[in-house]
Amino acid sequence: MRPEFHLTLPVEDGASVFPALPGFVTDVRPGAAGPYERLARIGRAAELAGMGGVLAPFDPAGQDSLIVAGGLLRGSRHMRVAAEFHAGIATPVYAAKLSASLQRFSGDRLDWRLAVDLDPRVARSQGDFVEGAERYARAEEFLTVARGVWHEEDYGFAGRFYEVLGGGLLFPLSGRAFPRVQLSGTSADAMALSARHADLHVFGPEDDLDAAIAELGALAAQMGRSPAYGLRLPLLAREDDDEARRDALRLWLLRSGARETFPEPERATRLWHGFGRPGLVGSYENVAAAIRGYLDRGVSAFFLEVEPHLEETYRLGEHLLPLLAKEIHNAG
Amino acid sequence: MPVDFYWRMAMEGDQPSLRRKGIVSRGGFTPGAVGGLAPGLRNGKLDGYSHVDYLAEVAKATEASGFVGALLPSFPHTDDPWAAAAALARETSTYRFMIAFQPGFLHPVQAARMTASLQLATGGRTVYNVISGGGGPQQLWWGDKVEHDDRYVRTSEFLDVLRGVWYATDHSYDHEGRFYRVRGGGLPPALAGQPFPEVFFTGSSKAAIAAAGRHADYYLSWLEPLSSLTAKFEQVREHSAGIGRSPRFAVRLDVLARETEEEAWQEVERGWVRPGPAATPAYVGLGDSVGWQRGQDLGSGGNGSRGGYRALEISPNVWGGFHVLRAGPAFGLVGDYRQVAARLDELIALGAEAFVLGGVPHLEEAYRVGAHVLPLLRGAAVR
Repeated sequence: MRPEFHLTLPVEDGASVFPALPGFVTDVRPGAAGPYERLARIGRAAELAGMGGVLAPFDPAGQDSLIVAGGLLRGSRHMRVAAEFHAGIATPVYAAKLSASLQRFSGDRLDWRLAVDLDPRVARSQGDFVEGAERYARAEEFLTVARGVWHEEDYGFAGRFYEVLGGGLLFPLSGRAFPRVQLSGTSADAMALSARHADLHVFGPEDDLDAAIAELGALAAQMGRSPAYGLRLPLLAREDDDEARRDALRLWLLRSGARETFPEPERATRLWHGFGRPGLVGSYENVAAAIRGYLDRGVSAFFLEVEPHLEETYRLGEHLLPLLAKEIHNAG
Repeated sequence: MPVDFYWRMAMEGDQPSLRRKGIVSRGGFTPGAVGGLAPGLRNGKLDGYSHVDYLAEVAKATEASGFVGALLPSFPHTDDPWAAAAALARETSTYRFMIAFQPGFLHPVQAARMTASLQLATGGRTVYNVISGGGGPQQLWWGDKVEHDDRYVRTSEFLDVLRGVWYATDHSYDHEGRFYRVRGGGLPPALAGQPFPEVFFTGSSKAAIAAAGRHADYYLSWLEPLSSLTAKFEQVREHSAGIGRSPRFAVRLDVLARETEEEAWQEVERGWVRPGPAATPAYVGLGDSVGWQRGQDLGSGGNGSRGGYRALEISPNVWGGFHVLRAGPAFGLVGDYRQVAARLDELIALGAEAFVLGGVPHLEEAYRVGAHVLPLLRGAAVR
């Protein structure tokens, strides 16, 4: 399967990268230098760097992923844009309709990342009181109804969460590709939902990848489906290992880590545990080799987490992705 | 008193002119057809453009022509206003996006989040057109089974929650209502502190007016004969006074303005006599909307007979046959530039402080109305 590299966007960053000007200095920038503009530039970086896509995460502290996705799809030609949201934001009919327009506007480049497990406190602050296993039952209905109105005419559905009568997207909103569905999680409920609905299931580097892939693969095969597998992956790559280690240390100190507790990157795996979750630190060659290791284990999509986003994205495009050109372009 | 002139976004695609009723050639509504635009054909293949590319041109024309922005309407078969606004936010600089939406499809917390993100993207250019109407089978197509009168109650609660979340700090917003519950809600610092959009409220039933008074900045009505429009404004004023509000009025209408009156009516006639179904059937499905029914009743008349169209001119330049020539409401203005400007002045004198004008095709007519009609306006002083 052809490897894909996606950039995870910083939707939570409300602050402008530029400090406010003194009051007496005329500032004509409102909107132009703000956080939305910054996202647009980072999205453009991912497109120009040849990345396969970007992910706008659902973040209650950040900007709305669907609005961000709409802007980034308009500002790009090739990359996919994934919007992460939870099922409580809208009816599945409306989510489908809005997404059909994004597909029309973008030539079918939208992905859905459905966030199912939410901290109950966060969920309630979003007006969503569905809890526990019920969230998976609702996600199942949400995706079923969304696909139903997307693909069928005179569609009817009466479930526990949703009801539709005489539904179905109308021409010309009908007939586009349904957004590629990304799901995540390792619980039994998550695996069961993915077996039925995921086009791409995203794991974390902390997960027991081989076991999880085997389990989901078997479940999905029973349904005659074969989802692709993705990986969230923080990453810091430099010309050589020493430089990468130096910048990892800088990042560690910046995040208020103490010099004495700096975790050394693992020599064999290039895994570093200082990002907050395991990620890769090393020379371009060694990081590329580690990524090839994941490819061999069945992972084909990488949701990279880098910082600062724009600069690191150009770096990836010029230094890391070329080392994986053979894998990217010659995949069967 | 400043008056805001909005134009309209062709969310439903666009006809080449009113002469070609029912031929929606722009925006992918007849994909692959020769003469279709955005997408069009180039060397026999789709050229890669899409409706949003046409919408961008309409938005830029609107912006350049003196309008403050445009209404982005929403119908089952048309592109979504939120999606279009998100796409076009960065391609415009002054254009206000008046987003039509029905509470009930979106959760108010999500509406707040999407709006705040759009405000960030546009520098505060989001405006709401809140619709509660429609109903019957139509609402179940949307997956919405709340009854007509209840929908206005829901609209009220929806806007309560939306405002509550918008202004809350430190996750302090709690709400236990009939339709919505929130605990610990509020916009995060990254989204907070932006202007709340102006609300244009649509709906002319008694239940609508009862709910509109509390939440409307503008009461948006389709054009009707001036006498019934006057009565409607009075009704809204009366109800609103009771709750200490004085809403402003906005009128939505199409204009067909030409250099001479004769030329304008010729344009109508060419569409009128053209064989083919009236454009209206494409919009059947506005369900139990009272405003729609009023427009149809007041403007019902013959179709296809030469000259019959003129019977629908119920007062000078006020014509009730637009729904035959293009999908949408019946009433609009037909006349020369000065006449159309004078009728708009009369509406201003009646109390209108905002307009949503439309014309087909939306692109060229935006330029025309901006160049030839808006400069002739004199305002309320004219009477």
